[in-house]
Amino acid sequence: MLKIILPTMMLLPTTLLSPTKFMWTNTTTHSLLIAMISLHWLTPSYYPLKNLTPWTGNDQISTPLLVLSCWFLPLMIMASQGHLQHEPHVRKQMFITTLIVIQPFIILAFSATELTLFYISFEATLIPTLILITRWGNQPERLSAGIYLMFYTLISSLPLLVSMLYLHSKTGTLHLPILKLSHPNLTTSWTTLMSSLALLMAFMVKAPLYGLHLWLPKAHVEAPIAGSMLLAALLLKLGGYGIMRVTLLMQPVSNLLHYPFLTLALWGALMTSSICLRQTDLKSLIAYSSVSHMGLVIAASMIQTQWSFSGAMILMISHGLTSSLLFCLANTNYERTHSRILMLTRGLQPLLPLMSVWWLLANLTNMALPPTTNLMAELSIMIALFNWSSPTIILTGVATLLTASYTLYMLLSTQRGILPTHITATTNSSTREHLLMTLHIIPLLTLILKPELISGTPL
Amino acid sequence: MLRAWRGGRALWGRRGGKPSRGLSSNSGLRTDILSELGPALSRLGQTLRGHLPGADGSWSAVQPGYKSPPPPEHADVVVAGGGVLGWSVAYWLKTLENRRHGMRVVVVERDPTYSQASTVLSVGGIRQQFSLPENIRLSLQSAAFLRTINEHLWVPNEPPIDIQFQPSGYLFLASERGAATLEAGIKVQREEGAKVVLLSPNQLKAKFPWINTEDVAVASYGLENEGWFDPWSLLTAFRRKAMSLGVYSCVGEVTSFVADTADNTPGMPRGVGRVKYVNVRLPDSPELQPVSCAIVVAAAGAWIGKLLDSATAGLQGSLALSPIPIEPRKRYVYVWHCPGGPGLETPFLIDTSGAYFRREGIAGNYLGSMSPAEGCEPDTGNLDVDHGFFQQEVWPRLAHRVPAFQELKVKSAWAGYYDYNSFDQNGVLGPHPQLQNVFVLGGFSGHGLQQSPAAGRAAAELLLHGTSTAVDVSRMAPGRLWGDRPLLEAAIV
Repeated sequence: MLKIILPTMMLLPTTLLSPTKFMWTNTTTHSLLIAMISLHWLTPSYYPLKNLTPWTGNDQISTPLLVLSCWFLPLMIMASQGHLQHEPHVRKQMFITTLIVIQPFIILAFSATELTLFYISFEATLIPTLILITRWGNQPERLSAGIYLMFYTLISSLPLLVSMLYLHSKTGTLHLPILKLSHPNLTTSWTTLMSSLALLMAFMVKAPLYGLHLWLPKAHVEAPIAGSMLLAALLLKLGGYGIMRVTLLMQPVSNLLHYPFLTLALWGALMTSSICLRQTDLKSLIAYSSVSHMGLVIAASMIQTQWSFSGAMILMISHGLTSSLLFCLANTNYERTHSRILMLTRGLQPLLPLMSVWWLLANLTNMALPPTTNLMAELSIMIALFNWSSPTIILTGVATLLTASYTLYMLLSTQRGILPTHITATTNSSTREHLLMTLHIIPLLTLILKPELISGTPL
Repeated sequence: MLRAWRGGRALWGRRGGKPSRGLSSNSGLRTDILSELGPALSRLGQTLRGHLPGADGSWSAVQPGYKSPPPPEHADVVVAGGGVLGWSVAYWLKTLENRRHGMRVVVVERDPTYSQASTVLSVGGIRQQFSLPENIRLSLQSAAFLRTINEHLWVPNEPPIDIQFQPSGYLFLASERGAATLEAGIKVQREEGAKVVLLSPNQLKAKFPWINTEDVAVASYGLENEGWFDPWSLLTAFRRKAMSLGVYSCVGEVTSFVADTADNTPGMPRGVGRVKYVNVRLPDSPELQPVSCAIVVAAAGAWIGKLLDSATAGLQGSLALSPIPIEPRKRYVYVWHCPGGPGLETPFLIDTSGAYFRREGIAGNYLGSMSPAEGCEPDTGNLDVDHGFFQQEVWPRLAHRVPAFQELKVKSAWAGYYDYNSFDQNGVLGPHPQLQNVFVLGGFSGHGLQQSPAAGRAAAELLLHGTSTAVDVSRMAPGRLWGDRPLLEAAIV
């Protein structure tokens, strides 16, 4: 673990002390090397926790997310080169510093074995994200976006803190391996219900659950590209991962808690998919599609079966890669046309044919085309839900249909149609952009060859 | 320290024995407050009085010291120019998009009082008697729009819109020389669906006995959809409806473009540029607000040429833009009273010599003028009226055509600018060939107001859908302005 955390923290002096000519090269290469090293976490082991230290440990549900977070740092740095190129050097350094400061906290959050440490790093990722959105966003609405993000997360995590401290005082420890071995000592009374609700709320807001999701379209749209990638790929998964961890403390989860969250999650998947069909803003469309996919993850996490956990894990990884890829593609559009409106950034296939290949692949994975891991995840979740309760197939089936329709709508409006006259002579796609898309798509397309790596089953 | 030791009082003492100022500053502060109190209170009183209604009971629309809000930092479409064409295209952009919070359209107008704008100084006529099918179609559709204006532009809680349309028709008189052109024009107009008739001199005399039909060979008279209306009502109707649909309006002047060209962006083809930011100068201040945008619509009327020249002054490098030939040309309008003049069914008469007049109101007032001959264009520096022009050029011709006008009294006169397209005097509608995302909409040379609803719609459709469905305006694209095939229109007044 230290061989990843120390180099990540050392990225800070790398950024601040590199000569101007080499700053981007140094940080990107360094973070790519860290990503390569982090791949070794995927090696199978028959211990429940790999790389065990007193504070951190990898097990089968945190390893894929950890590898994903290490993988994303070089991608975020590469994606930000475009919009930062005209800024003074110090500002570029500040931007990259903000990105790097989040990284150790995310790694700690995903690998923490102590719930208090998890909580601290969960909250710590909030401040640099806020800085990223409110300082570096493009529009005046970013202030309201930052306020929504901050207050939604903070208000919902206060009950989490209180109930965690109470549980610690009752149980004596919050160390996850010990909690797994200890007998749950909660009674079936309304206080248990309140405690479970308090534990879950923060993660429901983060995931987000439909009904608590208002911060997400604002934050995703107003953030710069690195911020959108970070939010979509990593911070939302903190919510899903948190649900998986804290439901351990609520055995057995009562039905009274199941039903509202399941209903909101599945209905939310339908609702937000329908909202996507009516969107005018491209980034807003992708943000709502994130809510839709994460709704399925929450539903799967709530029913707590092996297949559903596995499906939720695979969906989190695939959705992180897909959503981030879509945001990068939308950003390449935005950098050329300075507009996010779908009507004004249309018909791009004849203009940027190579980028349209990436658009096609991204949209195909978004609508869960076989043989991608997105399909595997959605199928696992749908079948697990059907097994748990038959009528859910209607909801998940309609959600899949709507997902396919808004994804095709997005593809056809951005790529096909009559050529717009105001963007005919755009700059060609650069190698950096192609590399960015390639690095997203290679994991997406090749993980189907060995899905056990990300499926959350003990290796 | 050494100096203090040696010189004794050198550190604390004074050189030269200046009067000491005293270390206490209390008294200074007290006198400052007291001396400031009087003027501060009087300023406060002035501000408060400014907010009250005036002596005659009227409220001032604008509070003293009110500064209009600056334009937003980011917009999707910036319309440079808030005349009737600018507001028309803004309205149509939001209407065709049909979503409440979609595109952000910002209309930037430098003179909110419209003191020199061509729109409000226009005579306000609408006719279909053109020789080009595009012009006829644009005017026909605009007439249909104006007929149903309340379906399109009515805003709830406001009174219904009345543009005071007078359907009196246009009457073009042609001598022997111009008869063939007139008759050819009529054929095209009838094909497009305009309702016009040809009148012989006898029919003309029978219908309008006050005309002197000497050397009139044939006349064409518009029976429907022709007449005149109030341009100010149309402008405010477009503006109010567009703002209710979410268009932002701000006061400022578009001074320059910041563009991606081959000079500063690797990978950009030579000779083409893409505007990233529009710099808007705020009123009464040297401050520039950059507005980043995807599309700029240059709808500045007579000043499109000047706008594009000054805005692209910094971009010349590899672009080598040729100036756009749209310039202001001053035209006069005179209002006179003639008690014995033609009656209420007087059409908008255009004489063989080019002089024209129409009825104004119902109390025997008429307004009219004439376009000066080529080469005698008045100076466009100001809007002063040359009354000698009326006495020497306009009156004799009109008096010859309408004998009743031999006795008249000029009541008032004003001058306005035509947005004159010096290449072929026809509208320019389309994307600039070199600045990709700049859309030129102007140069209509005197028939812009009447074609504004349809031209705005064609422009919005070209921007949003790529083709204009109702009227095919491909021949009006700006590319023709630097070629050698002018799109000439015969019936320019």
